[in-house]
Amino acid sequence: MKRYDAIVVGAGPAGASAALGMASKGLRVAMVERGETAGSKNMFGGMIPNCPAAEELLPGFWERAPWERHVVKRTLTILSEAAATSLVFESDNFDSPPYNGYTLFRPVFDRWYAQEAANAGATLLTNCLAEELLIENGSVRGVRIGRDAGEIHAPVTILCDGVLSTLARKLGLCKPLPALDTALGIKALFRLKEQEINDRFGLVRRQGASCEFLGCTEGIRGGGFIYTQTETLSVGLVTHLDSLKASGVAPYELLQRFLAREPVGKLLKGAQLVEYSGHVLPEGGYKLVPQLFARGLLLAGDAGGLCYTNGLNQEGMNLAITSGALAAETVCEAFERGDFSERQLSGYVGRLKDSFVLRDMSTFAKTAGLMHNDRLFSVYPNLVGAVMEELYRSDGLPKKSMGKVAWDSVRDAAPLRVFILDLLKGGGSVI
Amino acid sequence: MITDDIFELVSYNIDREPHIRVNPGVCQECTHKACTFACPARCYQWNEGRARIDFAYEACLECGTCLIICDKGGLDWNYPRGGFGVRFRLT
Repeated sequence: MKRYDAIVVGAGPAGASAALGMASKGLRVAMVERGETAGSKNMFGGMIPNCPAAEELLPGFWERAPWERHVVKRTLTILSEAAATSLVFESDNFDSPPYNGYTLFRPVFDRWYAQEAANAGATLLTNCLAEELLIENGSVRGVRIGRDAGEIHAPVTILCDGVLSTLARKLGLCKPLPALDTALGIKALFRLKEQEINDRFGLVRRQGASCEFLGCTEGIRGGGFIYTQTETLSVGLVTHLDSLKASGVAPYELLQRFLAREPVGKLLKGAQLVEYSGHVLPEGGYKLVPQLFARGLLLAGDAGGLCYTNGLNQEGMNLAITSGALAAETVCEAFERGDFSERQLSGYVGRLKDSFVLRDMSTFAKTAGLMHNDRLFSVYPNLVGAVMEELYRSDGLPKKSMGKVAWDSVRDAAPLRVFILDLLKGGGSVI
Repeated sequence: MITDDIFELVSYNIDREPHIRVNPGVCQECTHKACTFACPARCYQWNEGRARIDFAYEACLECGTCLIICDKGGLDWNYPRGGFGVRFRLT
């Protein structure tokens, strides 16, 4: 049995940030990671949005971190049966440091970041599954692990064990994840020459693009994505689990059809498939954030449900890093005061509420509900395609006014009352 | 077609014992058997002859889908032992 000042379960971005924050203040920290290296269990879309907390934890963070491309271009493409309607945004303001977002590989990035925490003095235990929290007098006192004679002890543990957080659930801190508010992300990684990627996506130097797709999930609530890395493309789908379950469709078959359809097919032409991965992600937003502290325990990152989408942004890694850093701050203060009470640890929630983490989640709390509207994923993408096609079509017949085209298409797609309600509700939850 | 190749591209360190166990009695009563299509790694197959789910733990991505969609309590769900299971290389 070994004693530490603090234990961190999971060496992903939340865990490494927590460990780095505490170790650099002189605390003896153990980081428990079940993978053979940090990041070997981790996958994401993905892009990490700019995150000042990382720079505060580790000066020069983005100069040193192994990222792939900085994202200057964001596209949203609405797919209907035969058409694609895109909104393309690119900004020179995202083309100089500090960059607004980066694409990266989790097995590479997480491994580097956990090593930075180890360099700061944290003990990284890999190949080590945290099996159970040890409770003494109602307080978490350590973790039972699959090595080092079975137990490590510390007055405080930070759970950063991801969306499934089996340990928090065993303790009854979090309810079982509802299929309604959980999504499955799957992804195929394709290799393609750097110059080919630049040409196809309209990029130069280390510029990157993120492309989101709506209407590509055959009516299942979800969407598609392409992210550009230096010499690879991440292409995948995210689908709500209750909707996937009801559909009877296999996610990899849905992915197969997404990869084959335009404009995705031509972007991938000649690219070589190199890896496949998948994981669930929390989609419940603010209302599903559990109590983030207990006696001797804090939850950070996905384990605390700290992940959200507002329709345009999907943010998680930056919330993980920031919550990990704030958990570390809370624990360091607890050590200074020699107070590990629930009240002292509850200061963590105050810090999260002062930061963008819980503020953004609260601002976009209603968007999670908007994402439960089935029409957003089939009826409306088809409506957009129909309107645009009608507006552009030249067939020798007299054109209708733009207003009439839209009006007729809406009338065909959904009852007007439903459409207006969706518009109000959708607008209300985003704006 | 990539569907069949795609699963071959995942790297694993396979343990001797499965980390998830299926309670066969529960699955017979299940009407949706959603695990048989929703699992992104095709780990679950309904065996008509033996009237049970055949579960191939070796291909598991540890993603959590089955844990969330099984509403029959049919799974004793755990992560693999430390160092075992899926190992993503880039992704």
